[in-house]
Amino acid sequence: MKSALLLPILLVLSGCKPKGDELKIGVSAPLTGDISALGQSTRNAITLVQEEASAGLTLGGRQMKVRFIVEDDENKPESTATVFQKLISQDKVVAIIGSQSSKCSNAGAPIAEAARIPQVTPWSTNPNVTKGRKFIFRACFIDPFQGRVVAQFATGRLKSRTAAVVFDVASDYNKGIAEVFRDEFTRLGGRIVGFETYNTKDTDFSAQLTKVKGANPEVLFLPNYFNEVPLQVQQARKLGLTATILGGDGWDNPELVKLGGAVMDGAYFSNHYSPDADSPVARTFIAKYTARFKAVPDAAAALTYDSARLLLQAVATAGKADPRAIRDALAATSGFQGVTGAISFAGTGDPVKGAVVIRIEKGKFVFDSAVNP
Amino acid sequence: MGVLVQQLLNVAQLGAVYALIALGYSMVYGIIRLINFAHGDIFMLGGFIGLLIGVRLPWLPVYVMMPLAMILTALAGVLVERVAYRRLRNANRMSVVITTLGVGIFLENLVRLTVGPETRQIRSGMPTASVAWLQGHLGVYVTWDKVLIILVSFSLMAILWLVVNRTLVGTAMRAVADNKDVVPLMGVNLNLIIAGTFAIGSALAAAGGIFYGQAYALDPYMGIDLGWKAFIAAVIGGIGSIEGAVLGSFLLAGVEVATVAYLSSNLKNGIAFGLLILLLLVWPWGIMGKPGMRKV
Repeated sequence: MKSALLLPILLVLSGCKPKGDELKIGVSAPLTGDISALGQSTRNAITLVQEEASAGLTLGGRQMKVRFIVEDDENKPESTATVFQKLISQDKVVAIIGSQSSKCSNAGAPIAEAARIPQVTPWSTNPNVTKGRKFIFRACFIDPFQGRVVAQFATGRLKSRTAAVVFDVASDYNKGIAEVFRDEFTRLGGRIVGFETYNTKDTDFSAQLTKVKGANPEVLFLPNYFNEVPLQVQQARKLGLTATILGGDGWDNPELVKLGGAVMDGAYFSNHYSPDADSPVARTFIAKYTARFKAVPDAAAALTYDSARLLLQAVATAGKADPRAIRDALAATSGFQGVTGAISFAGTGDPVKGAVVIRIEKGKFVFDSAVNP
Repeated sequence: MGVLVQQLLNVAQLGAVYALIALGYSMVYGIIRLINFAHGDIFMLGGFIGLLIGVRLPWLPVYVMMPLAMILTALAGVLVERVAYRRLRNANRMSVVITTLGVGIFLENLVRLTVGPETRQIRSGMPTASVAWLQGHLGVYVTWDKVLIILVSFSLMAILWLVVNRTLVGTAMRAVADNKDVVPLMGVNLNLIIAGTFAIGSALAAAGGIFYGQAYALDPYMGIDLGWKAFIAAVIGGIGSIEGAVLGSFLLAGVEVATVAYLSSNLKNGIAFGLLILLLLVWPWGIMGKPGMRKV
């Protein structure tokens, strides 16, 4: 009696009709939560790729439709783990794009690795995400490179000798890049006069900034996210701090200048690409994106677009919808032309690619200089 | 010297915001022994109501916008009490606690859905120039909006103290706090007094939310962390006591800022709350609280 009831339920739950003609790719994105503006860029970029791939793929003589399944991970590690589990065991995706922040990708990666499902994160720059893992890739450079770029920029172009850092100690990304900057800045002969921390969601930084003000540094490095940086800069300026403000790719979202306004002018940050990038792929993407969504694509959108296309190319090379074959094709990628530059994987999941430094001028992001590894 | 004064002003500003929230916790608990965990979200709601008024009616000066937002938030607080808490006044404690938590989550999601999840700031039009005298004499950078926040908060708290200790309504509130079963027999309208308490607490929280949105930023989930901190400040001060809520708030802000200034910003919450737990072990009723003298 009981089992007679149970069987149909189980059939419904397991999605009894297996659809063989669909290639399913999961996307884990922060659609809500503290960096939801970035989740929106992720969704926009995926929408563009979905439309471009509307013709589908021919794999092993069989025509397959491509379907992206976008799930909300709220920029929380625990929700990301749930999303990854759901995508893998319930939706049976062949690969996952995401998540965006390093702390979330770090939570998802062990699950993808254990299930042997390839994961491409667009925007997670923390080294640990791919370290020691065979199925995890990323489309962006890593923090040690970015931290070095900013430190070199500070000592080289800005000729500064003293620096302070204020960063979110509860987030892998912020902490990692702050530490690399500290080491590299010291190695280049500079002096770190302040190394202050706070916790995610704090909005009052006056105690830390007052301490920094006392040390009077020439540059203040804020390797934090776009939703917090304007508050930090405003509060720093209100305390009379005159240091040049520097940041990392976590700054790259229109919200940064919307929230900060004029106070952000004259600051610099390292980024994956500049919206005035000049390659055919980038120009097409930027034009398409701007026309469709009435907004300039941020780096997260560009990197998500690159990740999705990278993955689709790997599926085509593999010639079958098999996660392991896709993984091998991804690992063998060389000279892929993306919006954010050429991507090659040299034995690890971390691509070899360059960075740019952007200057904020009258609320606009302007290309300042390029750095290659 | 300059840095010390600057840090003290940071304490004053943060403590004032904590105090405006903590007063609501303390008053409601004092009167009906209810810990309203949705109070942090009322604070958030007040900030967003101020933001929306500012966006819709940008020509409205801040000294009109603020009272208006405080009145609207007070109404929201009364509505919450009427809809969600009144029926449960004599229910068991667990149901009430769960209801207050539920109301909080409801308010967070309501604001997220209607306003959006992005971080927002209230542009108040308050002067943001630094106070020249302080800058000249002490080398301290203090902007006028900071000074106004501190002054207005203190004035609001003083008004509250006068209302509770020097008016008839205040007498009735203190009487209800003393014994809510006997007071109605004396012809006092219990529901009205409780609604009034929620209104005052919510209005003060709204002032705190608006200041917070001007000095720092608003997001729909900010009430959780700040609500907890203000609640803890109220407990430290002795929950149920108005002076205690204010004292506890400045104490908490002081310990937080001092930890960052003289130890390490890494230890901020750990040390602050460790000390507070120690304090409560020594002083279980809170600094200004009185031990319960109820007979069995």
